[in-house]
Amino acid sequence: MSKLLSSDKSTVLFLGNEAIARGALEAGIEVATGYPGTPSSEVIESLAGVARERNLYVEWSVNEKVALEVAAAASFAGLRSMAVMKQNGVNVASDFLLHLTASGTRGGIVLVSCEDPGALSSVNEGESRYFASMLEMPLLEPADFQEAKDITKWAFELSEAIGNVVMLRSVTRMSHASGNVTCGKLPTKRRKASFQYDGPVMDSQTGPMISTPVVAKHLLRQQRLKDVQRMFDESPFNRYTGPAKPQLLIITSSACFLYSCEAVEMLGLEKKVGILKLATTWPLPSKLLEKTLRKTKKILIVEEVMPFLEENVKVMVTGIVDRIGIKTFFGKYDGTLPSVGELNPDIVADAVGRILKVKRKSLPADYQTDVQKTAALIPVREQTFCAGCPHRASFWNIHNAIALDGRKGFVCGDIGCYSMAALSPATGYHTMPTLHSMGSGTGLAGGFAKLGQFGLDQPILTVCGDSTFYHAVIPALINAQHNRADITFIVLDNAGTAMTGFQPHPGLSVSALKDVVPAVDIAAICKAIGAKVAISDPFDLAATGRILTSFLADKGSLKVLILRQACALSPEKKGKKTFDIKVDEALCLGDACGCNRLCTRIFRCPALTWDRDKKKAVVDEVICAGCGVCASICPQQAIVKTEVITPG
Amino acid sequence: MIKKPGSQSRLKKSVLEQSLCTGCGACVGLCPYQVIYADRTVQLFDCDLPDGKCYAFCPRTPADHNHIRKSLFDVNDLTPEIGAVKGYYFSRALNPRLRADVQHGGTVTALLELAMGEGVIDSAIVSSRSEDFEQCGLLVTDQIQLRRHSKSWFTVSPTLAAFNRIPDDRKKRTGVVATPCQAMALAKMKTAEIPGNSGSDFPGLVIGLFCGWTLSMEKFHNLLARYGITEADLTGMDIPAGKNILELFTAGGLLSVPMAEVDHCVRTACRYCMDSTAEFADLSVGAARFGTDCEEMRGWNQIMVRSDRGKELIELAVAKQVLQLREASAQALRELKRAAAEKKKKALKNIVEKSRSAKNLLYLKSDDPIVRRYLSVDKKRKGKS
Repeated sequence: MSKLLSSDKSTVLFLGNEAIARGALEAGIEVATGYPGTPSSEVIESLAGVARERNLYVEWSVNEKVALEVAAAASFAGLRSMAVMKQNGVNVASDFLLHLTASGTRGGIVLVSCEDPGALSSVNEGESRYFASMLEMPLLEPADFQEAKDITKWAFELSEAIGNVVMLRSVTRMSHASGNVTCGKLPTKRRKASFQYDGPVMDSQTGPMISTPVVAKHLLRQQRLKDVQRMFDESPFNRYTGPAKPQLLIITSSACFLYSCEAVEMLGLEKKVGILKLATTWPLPSKLLEKTLRKTKKILIVEEVMPFLEENVKVMVTGIVDRIGIKTFFGKYDGTLPSVGELNPDIVADAVGRILKVKRKSLPADYQTDVQKTAALIPVREQTFCAGCPHRASFWNIHNAIALDGRKGFVCGDIGCYSMAALSPATGYHTMPTLHSMGSGTGLAGGFAKLGQFGLDQPILTVCGDSTFYHAVIPALINAQHNRADITFIVLDNAGTAMTGFQPHPGLSVSALKDVVPAVDIAAICKAIGAKVAISDPFDLAATGRILTSFLADKGSLKVLILRQACALSPEKKGKKTFDIKVDEALCLGDACGCNRLCTRIFRCPALTWDRDKKKAVVDEVICAGCGVCASICPQQAIVKTEVITPG
Repeated sequence: MIKKPGSQSRLKKSVLEQSLCTGCGACVGLCPYQVIYADRTVQLFDCDLPDGKCYAFCPRTPADHNHIRKSLFDVNDLTPEIGAVKGYYFSRALNPRLRADVQHGGTVTALLELAMGEGVIDSAIVSSRSEDFEQCGLLVTDQIQLRRHSKSWFTVSPTLAAFNRIPDDRKKRTGVVATPCQAMALAKMKTAEIPGNSGSDFPGLVIGLFCGWTLSMEKFHNLLARYGITEADLTGMDIPAGKNILELFTAGGLLSVPMAEVDHCVRTACRYCMDSTAEFADLSVGAARFGTDCEEMRGWNQIMVRSDRGKELIELAVAKQVLQLREASAQALRELKRAAAEKKKKALKNIVEKSRSAKNLLYLKSDDPIVRRYLSVDKKRKGKS
């Protein structure tokens, strides 16, 4: 049995995302949807794993907007549902979200946004909390694993109490860390889905689910938010710890609460610094805040990414300053805390120390030199494609086609493992100078392609992954075709949403629930819109190169090349080599004229290493995935591939 | 320490970016970093080696041409206009069937067939036309195949790339048909003093082709388009003596293109070339066109014997009754020399125009005696530079 279904009162070690999933199960969730994105993916994966036993409907949707729409339908029919995404996914969902908060909801519905301060697994440091204030929906931020479970469960009740969607925000250090959680009861009763729509227009339970009359419904939403504020004032998830009259009050939420506790402890200031931990960061619990703010004059607000909490507390204080007196605020605005990146206990301790003029216990004198010595031993590792990654072969082909064409062509990048080609330019052979949101590579390419009349004479290429294709590329592709954009559009089809852990997507014939479902064929879609379509194996350098050079020379229209080769880490490939690869040292030219280490210096597969003593290339058999591409690039045929015969 | 710039980047800066690249293929096939695409040399990836063969072999990188001449030829044979001359003849293949298939008198094909048949060489690199009507070097190991690749298409063929790709031990027994720039590159391979160069005694035979210029593929393609044809329609090309036209043979008949139009299609690099007679070859062969009746000579070649190796082959060809030779008149030689000298002067003038200084002759050295002889110094320009 999955640990997610552990019995009532048992204590289980849960990943933060598993705790969120368990909370949803305890709340009696029936529909869960999402689009994969670090650090959010494990919520849906965990729920998919227990879907059969709990009779849930769980879906990896085509994108976050559709995920929220599918979840909202369940809410409209009276069920509890959840849509899960990463921070920028909320932007994708936001158009529907604007209208959803306006129409209101029925069954409890929670939007979970798992965010990535410091952009550890993102190309943005997006912040979705502002959507809560902008769209007037309650925002909850758990600060530990037990809370992640308990607050998730409460979020559904809250949603039903106010008839609107509730947002729950986690961060990487919450979603991807683990802690003990004491489980509650899993409900046994199930709801029956039924959509009532013929009641009065303002009746949220029986009327039509629309945002009109807009002004009246907007007012209703604001009134409900006042109710929420009263509930938040009473919430046990908001609590103050510390002396009655602290020298400094820290107001914080989420993982920053843990950093703050640790910082205060590091400095030994438990008797001088108080911490107000807020789990409800929008709307703010005004009474609780007023009461707590009276305790002291100095306030430090600890939060990651944008100064959302700081701004809202300051706005609230301006209205009550005559009652609580003048306060001095520290945080991101005055530079006490960094305005970008992740926080950690050291950063918070330094900030507290500066405010209270307390020095941290200094480390032993030789600590720093020891750290430096140790750091020097750590091998420098660049971000790169894995050994056997089809993207390396694809970008090799793309680079060469651009070079042969000679007009300084470039690739508009997109989101996936292949983003590495932009993040670590040598990995993509310096071909991909743009990288934005999902699908925007194709949109940008379509735009560049229309600049011919202003003198731009560079071939325009763009790439997207198979999952990205369905997510947000199709409208841009149709736009390109319809507006006669001359672009070479390349789908790097590695048969799964590889970067986030092989979640299925509409191109595959399996669903999140492992059901057999119809696969939607990328080539057929591209042909249907009228594009010229070719399919190739990126490992076949000669064939792929020929298609690409002919596409670049074929001016005036949209060309689609689908490069099909499964990810080297995909379940069907992992650990299985197609070829055994060896270097024939007698043939290897090494760094002499005629090769100059092409494989280790330029091609740079991590399985190819350079033996400094022998001055020869070496294949690291442990890392090598046996794709055989390096054998095709070696000018001396010194890299020898032998087909692996699999027994049986 | 400032790192010495890599050969490849110097090649890029001093040859490719200066439009001096002849597309000969000397820097291609040596390594994975350079390829020929259409008729352009493309550097795919950066190579940082300081003493690469690519820079050393390129006919348009600076080199001591005088030293190369003296080390490869008998100094007594050297002429300023046309390099070493051991003998100068009109020639044609004696086999009329061979003549029917090939360009002019079929001398090159006949000599290669002979050299392969007699074991002087066992293979030859010739220029071939690909499926896409691009020129490329082809290694021929069976003399029967030679006649299929005996026509001139007037665009550059990166023949030397194919030569570079064959193993060293084979290069000694391989003959190469080379344009003047290619013959110079082969001469540099024989003489370049860089690490790892073992080229002193290969190729086994260099048969040079007279060459006034080659056509840029792209420009020629556009010219053909104006005449309503493509490369695929061409069955042959020729420049008949004295008519000032380029003849295009197609299945649909003969098209004559005025030379004024053809001039616009000439590869830029050819304007800076001093050599019209392949001075660094063992033998040089061209269409016969000096001092005799034009139409009568259409089925003949002129041939220049330059080295001992070339002389031996010609003597063998006569002895084996492969070639018919006619002694060329003194007037023919005078006319050839005059034309060759004109080409040299013109090239030097173009070079000075490009570099804007008589002191900067790009790939040529101003103290080279041949350069000094043909460089007409514009006094005003000299004063400025």
